[in-house]
Amino acid sequence: MGRSPGDLLIFVLKRLLQLIPVLIGVIVLTFICTHLKLSGLCNAVYPHASKAVIDACNAKYGAPLLPQFVSYITNLLQGNWGASTLGQAVYPAIAADLPATIELVLAALFLMIVIGIPLGVIAAQYGGRWADHLVRIFYLSGWATPTYLGAVLAAVFIGPALGLPTRGEYSTVVPPFPQYTHMSVVDAIIAGNFPYTVDAIEHLILPASVLAFINMGIATRMTRASMLEVLPLDFVRSARMKGLSEFWVMYKHALRNALITTTTVLGVTAGGLLAGTVVIEEVFDWPGIGQYAYDAIGGGGSVANFDGAIAVVIVFAIGVVVANMIADILYGVLDPRVDWR
Amino acid sequence: MTDPVLIVNDLSVTYTVGAGTFYAVSDVSLEIEPGRVIGIVGETGCGKSTLAKAIPRLLPEPPATIGSGSIVFRGTDLVKVGRRQLPMIRGTGIGMIFQEPLNSLNPAFRVYDQLLEAIQIRHYREMGWVKSFQGGERPFDYSKPPDTTTVAGSLSKIIVPSGAAEEAVRDRLATRSQFREEVLSYLRLVRINDPETILNLYPHELSGGMRQRIMIAMALSEKPSLLIADEPTSALDVTIQAQVLTLMKELIDEVQAAILFISHDLGVIAETADEIGVMYAGRIVEYGPVAEVFRDPRHPYTKALLKAAPAHYKSDGPLSSIPGSVPNLSRPPSGCRFHPRCALARDVCKGDTPPLAPVDPAAPPESRHIHRSACYFQSEVPGLP
Repeated sequence: MGRSPGDLLIFVLKRLLQLIPVLIGVIVLTFICTHLKLSGLCNAVYPHASKAVIDACNAKYGAPLLPQFVSYITNLLQGNWGASTLGQAVYPAIAADLPATIELVLAALFLMIVIGIPLGVIAAQYGGRWADHLVRIFYLSGWATPTYLGAVLAAVFIGPALGLPTRGEYSTVVPPFPQYTHMSVVDAIIAGNFPYTVDAIEHLILPASVLAFINMGIATRMTRASMLEVLPLDFVRSARMKGLSEFWVMYKHALRNALITTTTVLGVTAGGLLAGTVVIEEVFDWPGIGQYAYDAIGGGGSVANFDGAIAVVIVFAIGVVVANMIADILYGVLDPRVDWR
Repeated sequence: MTDPVLIVNDLSVTYTVGAGTFYAVSDVSLEIEPGRVIGIVGETGCGKSTLAKAIPRLLPEPPATIGSGSIVFRGTDLVKVGRRQLPMIRGTGIGMIFQEPLNSLNPAFRVYDQLLEAIQIRHYREMGWVKSFQGGERPFDYSKPPDTTTVAGSLSKIIVPSGAAEEAVRDRLATRSQFREEVLSYLRLVRINDPETILNLYPHELSGGMRQRIMIAMALSEKPSLLIADEPTSALDVTIQAQVLTLMKELIDEVQAAILFISHDLGVIAETADEIGVMYAGRIVEYGPVAEVFRDPRHPYTKALLKAAPAHYKSDGPLSSIPGSVPNLSRPPSGCRFHPRCALARDVCKGDTPPLAPVDPAAPPESRHIHRSACYFQSEVPGLP
């Protein structure tokens, strides 16, 4: 085992193989949870339907659990992700919604990195002094904010106060250009439409900031803790003695070593951010997978969509595993003493 | 004799830890001229490392405090220099080699990048691209009028190109390959046989001796006018110690820096230094040319220290040791700090601190380079067993 590109490839393949048992477990669990108690479902969904419709429904959902599971898995393996109770196919909906969520998560992650990590450095540099306390107040208030509360406050007060839009991806529901990637900013850039790019970024700011603010504590706190571990080390003193200014000592020599821990934690958080989007997307009307998940479990008076719920959980599980894998790859990139294995 | 690079005057350093104050360095005075090597010896905890780190102001303040005294480096008192200007002295002005070679290199960067950084710092300062400080009358004023000998000056002339200016740019603008050559030359200077391979390695792939050589190369590549070596060989194996020491001795002749060599090993100091200062409990108790101090020690502590140095053979009898232990520096003994362990101690030793007085009564008392001892009864020391 070593650090060549070949080793990296083997590492990635191994991690993807480990994904299989994770997915099987996730599918079995969600399937059981969603299908265990469905006796009165068809009557609930179609309260005024004719007996024929209810019988057809019962034929689909009233069967014993095991045959249902076998048929679901068989379909899934053939690429058929099923359909909602109302008959809307799951796969196209997810394929269109997931990129918007990824865009939101990446934007939040970007903010956490460019704001949260320097704040951690500042907190460590002035450990125990007022700058440290201010930073702690900032990230703890984010941490202590419930997602729904932060999102609603931002949408109701902060957005209007700053003149930022609080609903959707664009000011018009359908933009006047094709959506290849379903990421609002990327699509606008591909179309070369500058006003829409600005519009898309403005729409992204508020939901991404709320998501970042609530989760920033972990980045700041980890950076601060590992910086405090790194700063007393001998190589920091040698960097100072070289004649480097305090800025380069901190952000080049010390932070480079402190980032190794922060990256790992950010990887774990990134997976969690995916799930954190459910409420935020609902509040900001962001057309992502979080909103789809909210509807799939019957939120907001919609009809429960079991195949959709399982699909969302599968996608979240893949997201968490992939985010961790990326963090592990970066870990090896940042720390030359680590082999990919 | 040329002007001293460094004059330390009555320097006192204390550490405040909790409610206690530790008097780590008390009233130390030193002078180092270019090309001279001054050795400082003493037991662990006698304040010699604190002294080494106090000179480039590397001690974390707090807990350390420079209580009194001055550190005059090329005409500027470093005690009065502001925090933001301190980096400008380090590296090119005062270089340092540390005791812990295993951890002194950044584990995340290749050897090449770390050496390159040092060379670039020196280069940019020489070019006047960044502010630096080498001492002198106008220490921090680098607003030189543009001239063709700097790249910045040359660039101003490129707008109206003349042959001379273009040539100056070509000569002075160090390219990547020139930097690489310079890095390689410093690795060869510290006797690394295979510099091309070493360049691409990370510190954890190198042995302790190799890492210390690279630290030495890094310090030298900035061409400091004062080099402080803080126990550079103490953490190494005996054989590697000998190699690094031989290297240091050869390099001392090659570089024209003033060197302050800190060690607890009398043999190391005897081999490298021109003058020696013996420290005990934060004070210099004896000072003088190496040969004189070793031949005719005039402080009971130096005498005991020389006697305690291990001889080469078992047949020489058991190792001798100094009775008692190093005093707690939060409550140092009154008067001469060695008196509780001293065979010559009398009442007067408990009263006032004995001054560092010349051994030869005819010598001028203010001279810093003659043999001096801080003992009231220094004439009786040769009679001690």
